[in-house]
Amino acid sequence: MKRNFSRKVAVIQFPGVNCEYETARAIRTVGLEVGLFRWNEDPAVLDDAVAIVLPGGFSYQDRIRAGVVAAKDRVMDKVSELAAAGMPVLGICNGAQVLVESGFVPGLQWESVELALAPNIMEDRSGYYCRWVYSRLEETRTAWTGSFSEGAVIPIPIAHAEGRFVTENEKVLKAMKENGQIVLRYCDSTGVVDGSFPANPNGSMDNIAAACNREGNVVAMMPHPERATWLRQVPENLPDEWGRRRRKGAGNIDLLEGEGPGRKFFTSLLERLKQGGVL
Amino acid sequence: MKAKLELWVGLKVIDLVTQTAWMTFTEKLNYEGILRGLRRYSYFGIEVEGEEFEGTVEEIDRAIQLDSAFTNQNKHFYRLLAAGTDALAGQDGRHGDDLSLSVLLASDSSSLSSRGTLAIERDYPAAGRGERNGRLFSFDCLIRPSLRDRELPYMERLNGRLDGAKVTDIVAGEVLRITVEGADIEEAANIVDGMVVTRSRREGLLMNPHYQRYEVIASKELS
Repeated sequence: MKRNFSRKVAVIQFPGVNCEYETARAIRTVGLEVGLFRWNEDPAVLDDAVAIVLPGGFSYQDRIRAGVVAAKDRVMDKVSELAAAGMPVLGICNGAQVLVESGFVPGLQWESVELALAPNIMEDRSGYYCRWVYSRLEETRTAWTGSFSEGAVIPIPIAHAEGRFVTENEKVLKAMKENGQIVLRYCDSTGVVDGSFPANPNGSMDNIAAACNREGNVVAMMPHPERATWLRQVPENLPDEWGRRRRKGAGNIDLLEGEGPGRKFFTSLLERLKQGGVL
Repeated sequence: MKAKLELWVGLKVIDLVTQTAWMTFTEKLNYEGILRGLRRYSYFGIEVEGEEFEGTVEEIDRAIQLDSAFTNQNKHFYRLLAAGTDALAGQDGRHGDDLSLSVLLASDSSSLSSRGTLAIERDYPAAGRGERNGRLFSFDCLIRPSLRDRELPYMERLNGRLDGAKVTDIVAGEVLRITVEGADIEEAANIVDGMVVTRSRREGLLMNPHYQRYEVIASKELS
């Protein structure tokens, strides 16, 4: 029986991803319906979806290079077609790596690989880095960021070993800046974009934490918004308003189940779909 | 005395990364019938200074056996080769049948000497399997990080384990030995370049040119 993705956000399950269920739950929290799509199903069913999310994890065990094997999968032919037609697509962490290796982000020449998410460069350490960091919202025009205010400082967790946005082609970075394709920049808790560790936790060029295609419907972000969707997920020791709220909410289940700093990525999608008459 | 050594490290067990690359090439990137063999090795090019050659190589050999950043006896075989010298040639007997196996390097082996504790080459995927329409060419592609400081920690690790000898430079990367079918070596080289460098979603797999580089360090036609 053909699976029905009508009015649903499709979350793609590649072998090895591990954030699909929490991502689905975060999306449902804002009132959207979700369907999980296995990578080897018939991609034609995605035609009915309203948006696509590539969740975090380790697709194909990160073999060869994070995201590159999934980028060659048949389902990505369909994602390419739908993204080019304007469907909102979000890649989170490993999903971002898939989008970059697919050439959808920055997508200056569609499907050309113009960036890499390279191994982290960090002070006095190497490899995997898992920490709450701060990022500054640079673009509200995308399908995934419209509910934020420009310049919002968002505490959000990262968890990756290969998250350093880099390109060998300076023209690509220049074009991304001119086109408004840098969506999030790593910053300190006050919103100052500081290139040094730990404000820039992985050595990403220009502190890029998230980038989009020219049209803004496809966003690749290394931080995990699904891990910052509820207040209870916020660490109590954050030195900002979110930390204060979290401390205040201790023991109060209603407050703790309230909005976390990353939920607006999904409410933005809901608003965009409503505005577009899709829902 | 200065010497240049090469350390080649392979897996004793089936290499799942290579299998995945093979399947991606043949099933998703249309290299079925063109790709004929694929093997993967960790590679270290080591420049070392020491008082005398024999003792220096002995020190390096001991150091790489002790440090799992280079070899892990549970899962690796390795070969330590000295380029341009026959200083190790008289030591074959100490290493059993190591040198009787086909040499790992595709380059001219007559100028190389080697030593290693074990040399089992898993034959998956086997080069040249299946019907052939053209000639077979093998390329050793060394893939390295673009940033030099990604390689230098290996030098520090080795030097931390050495007494008399000192490593003065190191190259650290991965060698993919790619065997392809082609009309001539130029065509085969173009095919390999298209397989290695990820230029688009539909072209290339093994390295991303925005943070890695590669060079062909050896190539030859297979009989």
